[in-house]
Amino acid sequence: MAKVEKKEVAAATPPWKPKPRPIVRLGIVLISHSLLVSVVCCTAGIVALFLLPMLAKNTYISENALMPGSASSMLSNHDISEAERLAKDLTSLNSGAADAGIERRRVLAKYLSDLGVEVGYHKFQSHQNQFHPLHFFSSPDSGLSRENGSCSSYGINVVGIIRAPQADGKEAIVLVTPFNFRKNSSSEALSISIGYAVFSLLSRVSWLAKDIIWLVADSQYGEYASVASWLRDYHIPVFSASSSHNADSCFEGNNINLSREESPGRTEISSGFRRAGTMAAALVLKVTDVKGQLEDTLSVYAEASNGQMPNLDLINVVNYLAVHRQGLRVKVEKFLSVLTWEWIWVLGDTLNFIGKVAGSLNPEWKFGISTPDYVEGTATLASSLYRQALGIPTGPHGAFRDFQVDAITLEISPKVVYTNQGRRNEFILRSARLIEGVVRSVNNLLEKFHQSFFLYLLTSPAKFVSVGVYMIGFALLVAPLPLVAASLYVDANKPEPSSQDPKQKLQINFKPWKWLSAAKQVFTVHAWGVFVSLLPYFISQIPNSTPAAHSIIWFSLSTFGLLVLYLITKSPSKPQKGKWENLKSLTISAVFIGLLLMSVVNFATAQIGALVLVPACLLAQPLKLDIRTASLKTFLRIATNVFISFVAFPPAGFFILKGVNEGFGNMDVGEFWTWLESLWAWNSATYIYIGMVHLPCWVLCLQILLHSC
Amino acid sequence: MATANTEEEKSKSEQQKNHGGGGGFTRWAVLAVIFRLILIYFPGNLNLSSRPEVSTPLTSIRRLAEGYWLKQSSMSPYAGSMYHGSPLLLSVLGPLTVKRTILTYSVANAELKGSLVTFYAVGCSLVFVLADLISGILIRATGWKLQMTYRKSLKSLNLLNKSTDSGGLSSGDIAALVYLWNPFTIVACVGLSTSPVENLFTILTLYGAATGIAPLAAFGWVMATHLSLYPAILIIPVILLLGYGPDAPPSKLFRSKENGKVGDDTSSQDIIFSWGRVLHLLVWTSMWSVYVLVLCSISVKQHSSLQEMFQRTYGFILTVEDLSPNIGVLWYFFAEVFDFFRDFFLIVFHSNILFMILPLAIRLKHRPCFLAFVYIAISSMLKSYPSVGDPALYLGLLGLFLDELADMQFSFFLFCGYVGVSLLSPVMHNLWIWRGTGNANFYYATAMAYACFQIVLVVESVSSMLNHDRKLMKLSASKLQK
Repeated sequence: MAKVEKKEVAAATPPWKPKPRPIVRLGIVLISHSLLVSVVCCTAGIVALFLLPMLAKNTYISENALMPGSASSMLSNHDISEAERLAKDLTSLNSGAADAGIERRRVLAKYLSDLGVEVGYHKFQSHQNQFHPLHFFSSPDSGLSRENGSCSSYGINVVGIIRAPQADGKEAIVLVTPFNFRKNSSSEALSISIGYAVFSLLSRVSWLAKDIIWLVADSQYGEYASVASWLRDYHIPVFSASSSHNADSCFEGNNINLSREESPGRTEISSGFRRAGTMAAALVLKVTDVKGQLEDTLSVYAEASNGQMPNLDLINVVNYLAVHRQGLRVKVEKFLSVLTWEWIWVLGDTLNFIGKVAGSLNPEWKFGISTPDYVEGTATLASSLYRQALGIPTGPHGAFRDFQVDAITLEISPKVVYTNQGRRNEFILRSARLIEGVVRSVNNLLEKFHQSFFLYLLTSPAKFVSVGVYMIGFALLVAPLPLVAASLYVDANKPEPSSQDPKQKLQINFKPWKWLSAAKQVFTVHAWGVFVSLLPYFISQIPNSTPAAHSIIWFSLSTFGLLVLYLITKSPSKPQKGKWENLKSLTISAVFIGLLLMSVVNFATAQIGALVLVPACLLAQPLKLDIRTASLKTFLRIATNVFISFVAFPPAGFFILKGVNEGFGNMDVGEFWTWLESLWAWNSATYIYIGMVHLPCWVLCLQILLHSC
Repeated sequence: MATANTEEEKSKSEQQKNHGGGGGFTRWAVLAVIFRLILIYFPGNLNLSSRPEVSTPLTSIRRLAEGYWLKQSSMSPYAGSMYHGSPLLLSVLGPLTVKRTILTYSVANAELKGSLVTFYAVGCSLVFVLADLISGILIRATGWKLQMTYRKSLKSLNLLNKSTDSGGLSSGDIAALVYLWNPFTIVACVGLSTSPVENLFTILTLYGAATGIAPLAAFGWVMATHLSLYPAILIIPVILLLGYGPDAPPSKLFRSKENGKVGDDTSSQDIIFSWGRVLHLLVWTSMWSVYVLVLCSISVKQHSSLQEMFQRTYGFILTVEDLSPNIGVLWYFFAEVFDFFRDFFLIVFHSNILFMILPLAIRLKHRPCFLAFVYIAISSMLKSYPSVGDPALYLGLLGLFLDELADMQFSFFLFCGYVGVSLLSPVMHNLWIWRGTGNANFYYATAMAYACFQIVLVVESVSSMLNHDRKLMKLSASKLQK
C-alpha cells in the first residue's frame, strides 16, 4: 500500500519536469511574450512595406534565348507607305453610312489577302459578364454560358494568320489592335497602320519560327469582350452546332452573310474559324492621344484578372527595346496623388539620409535611394498594389492570362497629333520597329516564358520587387496572429483551480472541448458571410431598380439574416469564463487562414486586407472590461477599437477612401453597389475575400467588443 | 437477481434517454440528407467529380462508367488503364452511370441534355447518399454499444461519476453526426466518388464485430478488403473485438480490483478470450471470400480473368502506377525517384503500415475499436491513392472516443490545420494547373502539411488514450486504498 501511495505522490508532484524539446520551448517563450512579439512584428511588417521601393531590384532579361535587339530591323518605308494607304482608305469611308463598318472590314480583308496571308472573320456575341461565385476555382470554360443573346449585340473581328515558313505551326504569337469599325478615329487608324506595317513585313520574312496572328478586334462593345470571346472560341471548340448556328442566323437576318462573300484578294476569306498553334505571347497595341507630353511615350499595362501578371521577361524585352533601341519613354501607371503627400517626401528624405549615413560608415552598404526616386517608386508601387488588389484586368491583355498566355498592352502616345506626313511616318516606323523587335525576340523562344518572375510588383518600368521580398513584410504582419491565438487559447483553457480539488479529480468527467461553442459561432458568422456574398446574384435580378435601391435591399437583407442567425444560435446558458478569449482566438485563427489563402490567390488584396484586419483583430477586447478598469490605456484602446471597427466596415471604408480622394461632396449610396458589381462581374477574388473573410471577421470583432463578460 | 433487475431498468431508462436525444439525431441526420440532395441538384457549378481530392483512379465514377462501357462493348473492363475497381461495383453501379454517359454524348440540345444529366446523376448519387446514411446509423449503433459496455465496466470498477453524466447527445450520436456533416464526407458523396460505399463496408465490419455478429463482421471485412485492400489490416481489431468484447479499461485494472477484494493472487479472473467466436469469424470469412471470388469470376469470366482482376486492382494499388496528383504523398515521391530504386521504396512505404500493426495491437489490445481507428488513420495517411473519403471515415470514428479523448492536446491546432489545409489545397492546385504561376511543389507542400497534421492527430489521440488509461489506473488505485 505504502508503495502505491509513494508512487501516487511522485506522480502528482514530480521533482523535476522533463525539459521539452528546444522547438517547443521556443514556441512557449514566443507565446508567453505574445504582446511584445506582436507589437514588434506588426511594426516591422508595416515598415517593411514602406521599404519596398528601396529594396526593388533592377530588371534583367533572364531568358537567354530572347536576345533582344541583336538583329537589325528590316522594316522599310515601303511597308509604312502601304500601311498609310490602308489607313487612308479606312478613314476616307463615310462614317455616317450604315454599312461603313462592313465596308471597312472588307477593305481590311482585301489588304490582308493581298499580302497572301490567311484571312478570316470571327463573329461573336457580346454578353454581359455573369456572376459566377465559384468561377475562381474552376477551369476557364466551366463557368461559360452560351445562352442565346439577342441579335442586336454582335461584333466581327478580322483575323489574319501568317504561317511560319520554318515551323510546323505548333506555336503562335498574337498581335491585337482594337479597332472600332463603325467609327472614325485617327488614333485607332494610326494603330492599324502600325499593326499593318509590322504584319506586312512579317509576311515576307524567312526567319519566322512561330505563326503570327493579327487580331483586329471589333471594339464597339469594348476591347476586352471581343478579345475574350475570340480567345474562348480559339481554345474551346464548340462541337454542337447550336451556338454558332445562332450567330449565323442573326447575320442572315441582317443580310450580311460574310461567309459567302467573294474573295477580292489573292487568298480566300475563310468562313470557318482559323487557328494556329499554342500562343507564346500576345501584344495588344493601342495608340492614344494624350495632350501635353514632352516626348513619345509608351505605357505598359500588365495586370490581368486577380492580380496575375505576365512573365517579367516580356516587360523586360519591351522596356529594353523601347528605351535602348527606339528611344521611347516607358511609363507604368502610378498614383499621382501620392506625389503630393508631404509625409512621403519626408520619409524619402529620412531614408535617403539613413542610406547616406550607412554608406559613409561602410561603402559596401549601398541601399540609399534619392528622395524623388523613392516617392516615384512609392507612387508606382501603390498603383501596382491597387490594380492587382482590385483584380480587374487593366486592358484586353487580361483575357489572355486566363488561358496562361503572357500578354501586355502597349499604349503608345505621340507627343503631338501629327499633321506632317514625314513626322507621322517616323512615329509609325519607331513603333513598328519596337513591335518587330519584340516579335523577333519572342520568336526565338524555345519554351514558353518560364525563366523570370510571375509574382512581382513594379516600382518603375525597370525596377521590380519580387515575391521573395514582399512576402517578408506580409509574413511579419501576420506572424502575430497564430501566436496571439495560441496564447489566448492557452489562457482560456487553463485547468481551473477548482479541478485541482481532489474530490473532483477522483472522477472521470465527460466534458466537451471548450472551444467548440466558439467554433460554432465563428462558423455561423462565416456561413452568413457566404449568404451575404451570394445575395447580389438574386438582388441583381430585380428589374428596374437603381444601384441605391439595390444597396439598401442588400444591406437590410444582410442585417436581417444576421439577426435571425443571432436569435437561432443564441445560447441560453450564462456566459462562462474564458468565453471571449476562445472566441477571439478562433476569430484570429480564421483571419489567419483567410489571409494566408488570399495571399496565395491575390497577394495585393491580402496585404491591404491585413493592414486593416490584423490590428482590428489583435486589439479587439470587450468594451465592458475596458470600461470597468478606466485608465488612460484602456481609454486609448476603446478609442482605437471604435475607430478601427468603423473604418473596417467595408462600405464605410469605401466611402472614406473615396471622400479623401475626391472630396465628400457628392456621395451616392449606390456607388458602393456599382463598385462591388464591377468586382463580381470580373470574377475578382477580392469580392469573395470581402464577403467571406473580411466581413465575417469584422462582425466577429464587433461581437468580441460587445461581449457581455 | 434484484441488482440485475435494477441494472436492466437503468439501462432501459438510459436507452429511453438516448431515444429522447435521438430526436435531435434524427432531425440532424434528415437535414444532412436533404443538404446532400440540394447539392446534388446543382452539380454543374461545383464540378466536384473531377477534383483530384475527390476522385482518385480507384474511386472516380467516370472511370467506373468507362469500365462499364468497355464491358458492355465486349471487352475486358480493365482494358487500357481506366478502371481499377471491383467487378461487383461495376455490376451494381454501372447500369446507373450508363444512361448518363450515353445521354451526355447523344442528346444534341444543350438544355435538354442538362436536365437529363442531372436526372440520371441523381440515380447514381442517391446510392451514395443512402450509403452515407446507413454508415451514420451504423456508427451510432456502434457508439451506443461501446458506450454501454464502457459504462458498465467503469461501474464495475466504481469509477463512474453519476452526477457529471452528460445530458446532451451521446458520443455515438456525435460520431454519427460528425460523419454525416463532415464536409469531407459531403464532398465525397456529392462528388460521386465510390468511397462512401467503401466506408460503409468498413463501418459495417466494426459494427458487426462490436455487436458480436461474426457473419456480419466477416461479410463487411471481406467486402471492404475486396473494394480497397487496405481494410485487410482490420482483421486484427475485429478478432480482438470478437475475442475480448468492445473497448474496456486495461485488464490489469480488473485484476487488481479482484486482488484488492479477495486478496488472493491465484484466483484472479482474466478476461477470457473466446476462441469460439473467432473461429466462427474465420469460418464465415473464408465462406464469404469464396462467395465473393465466385461472384467476381462469374462477372469477369467472359472477357478477362480473376488473375487480371487482381493485377489491375490490388496490383495497381501496390505498385503505384498512376502518378497523377492527389492529396497523398506518394505520387510526387514516385514521380521523382529513380526507376531502379522504385521497387525498394515501394516495399518500404507499404511495410510502413505493416510495421505499425503489431506494436499497436499489443499496446491497445484492450481497446480494439480505437485500434481500428488508429489503423484506418495510418493507412489513409500512407495510402497510394488517398481521397477525402478516408479522413471522412476516421474523423467520424474519432467521434466515438470523445469522452476518452476530452483531454487531447492540440485539438484546436489540429482543427485549424485541417480547415486551413483543406482550403489551401484546392487554391494551390488551381495556381499550378490553371494559372500556371505555381508549380507542383506548391501543391505538394499542402499534401505534406496534411500528412503532418494526420501524424499529429494519430500520435496525440493515442497518447491521450494511454493517458486516460493511466488516469483510470491511478483512480482505481486510490479507490482501493480507501
